[in-house]
Amino acid sequence: MTTLYKTFRRALTTKDGALLGSIFSPENPDRRAFAFSTNHERIRVDVEFEISGLTHLRDENTRSAWIETLVSYWKIAYILERDDGADVSWVKAYEGQKDLLLAMVRGYTKGNWPHWTLPVMYQICLSLRTVAILSDDQARRLGKTSEHLEDAARYINKAFTLCISDRAPIEESRKWGTYYIVNLMFKTYFKLNSVGLAKNILRVLPASLADMPPLEAFPKSHIVTFKYYCGVVSFLEEDYGNAETHLTYALNLCKADSIRNKELILTYLIPTTMLTKHKLPTPELLSRFPRLATLFNPICKTIKSGNLQAFDAALRHGEEEFVKRRIYLTLERTKDIAMRNLFRKVVLYQNEENRTKIPVRQFQIAMGCAGRGAGGVVGVGYAENGDGGENGGGGMVEADGDTVMRSIPERMEVEIEEVECLLANMIYKGLMKGYISRERQTLVLSGKEPFPGTVV
Amino acid sequence: MSSSSKPSKTATDPKDSAATDKSNKDTQKQTLSLEEDDEFEDFPVEDWGDGETETQNPPGGKLWEESWDDDDTTEDFSTQLREELKKNPTK
Repeated sequence: MTTLYKTFRRALTTKDGALLGSIFSPENPDRRAFAFSTNHERIRVDVEFEISGLTHLRDENTRSAWIETLVSYWKIAYILERDDGADVSWVKAYEGQKDLLLAMVRGYTKGNWPHWTLPVMYQICLSLRTVAILSDDQARRLGKTSEHLEDAARYINKAFTLCISDRAPIEESRKWGTYYIVNLMFKTYFKLNSVGLAKNILRVLPASLADMPPLEAFPKSHIVTFKYYCGVVSFLEEDYGNAETHLTYALNLCKADSIRNKELILTYLIPTTMLTKHKLPTPELLSRFPRLATLFNPICKTIKSGNLQAFDAALRHGEEEFVKRRIYLTLERTKDIAMRNLFRKVVLYQNEENRTKIPVRQFQIAMGCAGRGAGGVVGVGYAENGDGGENGGGGMVEADGDTVMRSIPERMEVEIEEVECLLANMIYKGLMKGYISRERQTLVLSGKEPFPGTVV
Repeated sequence: MSSSSKPSKTATDPKDSAATDKSNKDTQKQTLSLEEDDEFEDFPVEDWGDGETETQNPPGGKLWEESWDDDDTTEDFSTQLREELKKNPTK
């Protein structure tokens, strides 16, 4: 007897859902032997014979749904394992996966498949998506258009409906599959670059939650993945408060050794926290994730130093990667914190007794030193003490992260009105406390916490 | 070309020649796994205990910097800024 049938019989007898699901996994090592075990004429008779005598299959509808499912699966196995190696027709494989999915759907609607078989649904949906992607890739290579992944999303939606519409008592309900399938839909929509459709799920979902167990009752892999995608959707909607909540939740519950997933959560949580809490990741945190260190170190250093021109250079330096990760616009906004830090330094560098009333001229000098940032072209070389010129490397675009951080800006003269405007803006945004006395050209700072949250 | 390990193709129907064709298939068969750059990975297990999350075993201490004051005082930019500000001291 082919191993696959043995596994099938054992899984049904012991009600081992994970084992049953593994049969339909793209990685099932027994698929090959299964593909070679018979031929198109005999497959149905073989399946009927191999699964006969199981008590679980006494119900004729249950049994025939399993026969359909295994026969459909064999046809895919045949295409993937026996069609000529180099050029598997993914289009054919995709059609096969769709038949398999429909057979599975009938298993639940007509064949009374119990809820513990949910891993079968998971694996079949997962494979459909995988094959759709491979089929689309193949089509693109051949210069054809292919929309299998979009099509797959519609079929996975059928599984979603199967889950949420189950009326069985909750202990044995398919509702337990809801988040797994939702997560798969999220992944699919992100792959299709359709964040709008991902948001749609979140709009539809609450209506289905009424008689659903609370999220915390689900397996952690479902929760963490769900929270990650909720967080990313909030992030992309610039709802940073919710993004922070979702992503922090995901991070805290994530399996400690799932480095890649933690890295992904932090890719969004770090820029989020920079904006919501004005906080930077610690060096210890970054050192644990080399990829994140490369991604964020230059920008964090320049935020810390207040060197605005270096900030712009760091942003340009990482632009391609930031855009790819969809975090560019958010990082751009952290320039406010860099400027806050620059102004904070101006205050700290004053004599102790002069720290509440500071001439705007001092901030003007600081803006000049910081190269003003890329915003404007007011740039008149600021050659007062003669060394302005040779320090000017700071404006270079192409530099490695470290050079970017170390560079000294080309100094520029900034209009006093512009500086006043920037200061007013900082005060408006709550990054500084105080007011500008225009007749004295002075910034009057609050005696208590002029830079909230920075211990100054 | 002599290094090619593949013996010349015996024109058999692939459906009946599983064994002879195996080495070829193993290398050429596309595996059904995707190398997604920024896709959230499937976890190797469905569920885990509270002890296996990081909140229970924080390896790296704090996530976020508490202070802005440990900046690099040897940093050229800060030094220069300080000097420039001194040239125009507060009256």
